[in-house]
Amino acid sequence: MVIDIAGASVPDWVALAPTVALGLGAMLLFVVDMVEPEPGTSSNATLAGISTLGALVAFLVAGSFLVIGVGQPDGTGAVSLFNDQLVVDGMSLFFVVIVGSVTALVSLASYDYLAGQRYQAEYYALVLLAATGMSLMASANGLATAFVCLELSSLPSYALVAFLKDNKGSVEAGLKYFLVGALSSAVLVYGISLVYAASGHLQFDAIAESLGAEPEFVGVLGIGVVMVLLGFAFKTASVPFHFWAPEAYEGAPAPVSAFISSASKAAGFVLAFRVFLTAFPEIGGLAGGDPAVDWIVAVQVLAVVTMTVGNFAAATQEKVKRMLAYSSVGHAGYALIGLAALNAPQQDFVLGASMMHLLVYGFMNTGAFLFVALTEHWDVGRTFQDFNGLSEQAPLACAAMTVFLFSLAGLPIGGGFVSKLYLLGATVQAGTWLLGAALVVNSALSLYYYSRVVRAMWFEEPDASLEVDSYPTSLYAAVVIAAVATVVLLPAFGLLSPSAIDAASVLF
Amino acid sequence: MAIVTQYYLVLSAAVFCIGVYGILTRSNALMFLMSVELLLNAANINLVAFSFYYGNLTGQVFTLFTMALAAAEVAVGIGIILVLYRNFEDIDVTKAATMRW
Repeated sequence: MVIDIAGASVPDWVALAPTVALGLGAMLLFVVDMVEPEPGTSSNATLAGISTLGALVAFLVAGSFLVIGVGQPDGTGAVSLFNDQLVVDGMSLFFVVIVGSVTALVSLASYDYLAGQRYQAEYYALVLLAATGMSLMASANGLATAFVCLELSSLPSYALVAFLKDNKGSVEAGLKYFLVGALSSAVLVYGISLVYAASGHLQFDAIAESLGAEPEFVGVLGIGVVMVLLGFAFKTASVPFHFWAPEAYEGAPAPVSAFISSASKAAGFVLAFRVFLTAFPEIGGLAGGDPAVDWIVAVQVLAVVTMTVGNFAAATQEKVKRMLAYSSVGHAGYALIGLAALNAPQQDFVLGASMMHLLVYGFMNTGAFLFVALTEHWDVGRTFQDFNGLSEQAPLACAAMTVFLFSLAGLPIGGGFVSKLYLLGATVQAGTWLLGAALVVNSALSLYYYSRVVRAMWFEEPDASLEVDSYPTSLYAAVVIAAVATVVLLPAFGLLSPSAIDAASVLF
Repeated sequence: MAIVTQYYLVLSAAVFCIGVYGILTRSNALMFLMSVELLLNAANINLVAFSFYYGNLTGQVFTLFTMALAAAEVAVGIGIILVLYRNFEDIDVTKAATMRW
């Protein structure tokens, strides 16, 4: 098959170029590490450079594909590959942009974080392999492909969380992440097998076609759909499979926490969007009529419970990283609105709002965790009190952190404000007042615990022993880039949201 | 006489429940891995049975993928359990509790 990109006729797999770039980057890292004369002597700069470059290429190619119309209705149209097992459309490219940018920031920041550690090449290769899996998840168009891609992103993540082999916290975090992950992926496969039992197909469109509006085995199908939803809840850190998140994020190396909480969550969401909108639309009542399996209500319950649990738990934390972990659970609840409010008249707006929230969240949450990486580099401690007076020594980083936190809370200092406004608009359209109220109340609550960090950094007296002796360049660069992106997304939001809404409209 | 397909569903549900029971009651990490294998194989029973029922090969092929991924998962899991043993000198998953749940 041949498609037409920017006037040139190229084979259709070129549409997968961003994913290929990530995969090739990982292979290149293995080669570089292999040809080094002594094991483990590869220069950290080379490895971080390759990794950042691979992610940056994926980000830029996916972004330019979006601009020149690859996979879009007015360009080449959605590109189906491998017998419809993979599809490249606006939605998948949009999420590859998110995954690519987060991966690039994380690789850049890891250069300083990993200085002096062993197994650096393996670290970067695992990051890129996980990113490859995440970008494939955005393209997966069948339950079989979806499961394989999900595991390709999960397995390297388990190893990454337990990367600090001699650190008890890291190992414990890796164990808990692995145990919950293994259980939830088993639940997902069992759900897939039940959906297959009810429909006889694994490819999304074929499932939708064979189920129709009134499927034959409703009971089996219902259990299957719920189990698939639970499997995705693990990947997106939503209730009920959220309890790994605080442990894994707290114990993992901070750049890995940033990676898993931003990129992995976005990838889980894009897969959930695609599965529920292309495989289960009619049985959910999206095409009109009574739903056979009312998954929208299930998602609504999950969304409200997730944001409430995440935010209330975050408000009671003493450690900053753990607070961010619970806030990440809360944000999963906000993003779930994209599925929960789909009974609105303008479905593409609802889904587009959720996609934009994940884009903004990718930058602000990665930035916040990378700031924590910076404090771990300085050894200032983990609790709120340990951050007291940090702004006297590191004003730039603290200013960036303030931007991230206020944007996460939804104040008009970064893109987080507009994305929450869009989500609120989506709930109003759908007439689901409970969802909208939960969003507003939880955002107000989140301001309380985010501002505790800000107060500690700017207004409290520093501890006498606090001394910042080094200013690691690449960590600083990553934090500042993320802060700039967060701020720029406030005025630029209106420019990008049409492309998200267009990408979403293709699925309906 | 062919076996009715519903019986396969009952069998796989039973295997799945045994697996869940194992996960909930055992604290040994290796027993946990075995229980997860039971869960995955419960799904495999379904896939193969309904592949036969519908007369297409999709489910059977996916079973092969599931088995390969189960092996990969165990490989990573054993690695994590090994570092767990080195750090905590035990493979009891309830012992690794320096952070609170």
